[in-house]
Amino acid sequence: MSLIFVVEDDRALREELSELLENSGYEVTAADVFDDIAGQVLASGAQLLLLDINLPGTNGQSVLKEIRKQSDLPVIMVTSRTGETDEMLSMSSGADDFITKPYNPMILLLRISAVLKRTQAAAPAKTLYRGLPVNTARGSIGEGSGEIILTKNEMIIFSRLLSSAGQIVSRDELMTALWDSEEYLNDNALTVNISRLRQKLSDAGLENTIETRKKQGYILL
Amino acid sequence: MSLIGYLKDKLPVICVFVTVQLIMLCFFGGYHAGAEQAVIISTVYWLGIAAALMIEYSRRRGFYKRALESLEGLEKKYLLPEMLSEPSFYEGKICYELICGCGKSMTENVSAHKRQADEFREYIELWVHEVKLPIASLSLMAHNEGGAGEKYAPQLARIDGYIENVLYYARSENAQKDYIIKETTLGRVFKESALRNRESLQQRGVTVSAQGLDKKVMTDSKWLEYIFTQLIANSLKYFSPDREPVIEVYAEESDSTVTLHFKDNGVGIPATDLPYIFEKSFTGVNGRLHSKSTGMGLYITASLCRKLGHRISADSVQGEYTDIAISFGRNEFYRP
Repeated sequence: MSLIFVVEDDRALREELSELLENSGYEVTAADVFDDIAGQVLASGAQLLLLDINLPGTNGQSVLKEIRKQSDLPVIMVTSRTGETDEMLSMSSGADDFITKPYNPMILLLRISAVLKRTQAAAPAKTLYRGLPVNTARGSIGEGSGEIILTKNEMIIFSRLLSSAGQIVSRDELMTALWDSEEYLNDNALTVNISRLRQKLSDAGLENTIETRKKQGYILL
Repeated sequence: MSLIGYLKDKLPVICVFVTVQLIMLCFFGGYHAGAEQAVIISTVYWLGIAAALMIEYSRRRGFYKRALESLEGLEKKYLLPEMLSEPSFYEGKICYELICGCGKSMTENVSAHKRQADEFREYIELWVHEVKLPIASLSLMAHNEGGAGEKYAPQLARIDGYIENVLYYARSENAQKDYIIKETTLGRVFKESALRNRESLQQRGVTVSAQGLDKKVMTDSKWLEYIFTQLIANSLKYFSPDREPVIEVYAEESDSTVTLHFKDNGVGIPATDLPYIFEKSFTGVNGRLHSKSTGMGLYITASLCRKLGHRISADSVQGEYTDIAISFGRNEFYRP
């Protein structure tokens, strides 16, 4: 379970943000006082930092620069300002991603998991599903003669389900993941892709893989 | 300044001189002066008057001619005071002072209004950032709530959309350059906008097809994202009830430009309305028939395009499709 440090000076927003992240299976620490934020973050041992740009007495970019002197901690900058300048400044001070408020919760979660995956992939532990290696780049599950070849869309769906294996993933979350990869599927196409994916897995001898939960979503077992 | 006009203006003075001449003739008669003396004195008298009038005329002519010509040649006529030099004659000095005084006061007035407009715009920007905080909190609350909260999300998205309109209207009307042009992949920007509007697009069952968006253009990605959002919102308003809604987005590349097409199969725009759709407050037949329209969306879109240096045009067949095309110049100058 990854620990996320939240720096956000608006109290209501901070609490809702913490709740959202906790519901999605992250541990959350949030700053209540805003002096020496860099010190607090580094002392917390967090795996990811959500950093607001407008802070009392300082700003996110200078906090980020201070952190970067000592650590490569993944940082997502958050701002309510919609301007190219802030984004460029943040990215050049070493942020890993940049999101503007009001964020769509599903997009926020997607970006967080993408940044975590990217930064933790430094030690490429092989992803396994029921003992079979999952190769996202090749779009395949398994090796040798039993290799299951998936289309791009099926792979996106499978990876999303796999990253929350055992938990319900809503259709909206799957859609967000697909659209984020510039695959603009509609409702029917998603249903078709899921049944095809299920069929491919069952052809390869994997039964009871994706379970449908009425009105909630899907679970990868 | 013409000589005849000048002399006409001097008519009262000339009348005085003529009267004096008549009085002089009476004196000549009274003192029994000879005809020859009378003619010589009168000639000298009139030559003196003519010379005096000519000197006065030429002093004025130079100043007024220059002033009129400057005014003619100036694109911004209010810059006239800067073009004039102080004349040597008294009335001209007064006139010069008046013009300069007016000009100075006008400049002060304009800059006060400009400052006011800038301050207002800055406040709008600030206000937008402020109001986005509670919206962000509310949309997280709606999401965390689950079930019942979900129906609030689309309304919050609408509020957010209207707030963006204000922000970009303020930006598009302002002379300040507050955008950053850099190399941007069309697909990435369209994705951001599509993701933000995913729920409303899927609620309407819209099929989105994106092709050839891997092309790179020089633009401000935030502004372009807003433009996409505007175009999506427009398409959503005017889909036809008798067929499956489709939005096609594709880019074409030629030597000097990349042209992006945003095409929907909605109700289309009547040919008589087509030339005016980018004008401020134009609602047209569609705006009146189909939904509440303020006529601002496409106007803001077009002025943002103009500021960024992109060309925007529309093509449509009523009842079939609407195709908005944006051309991005390949400006080598911007390339690193």
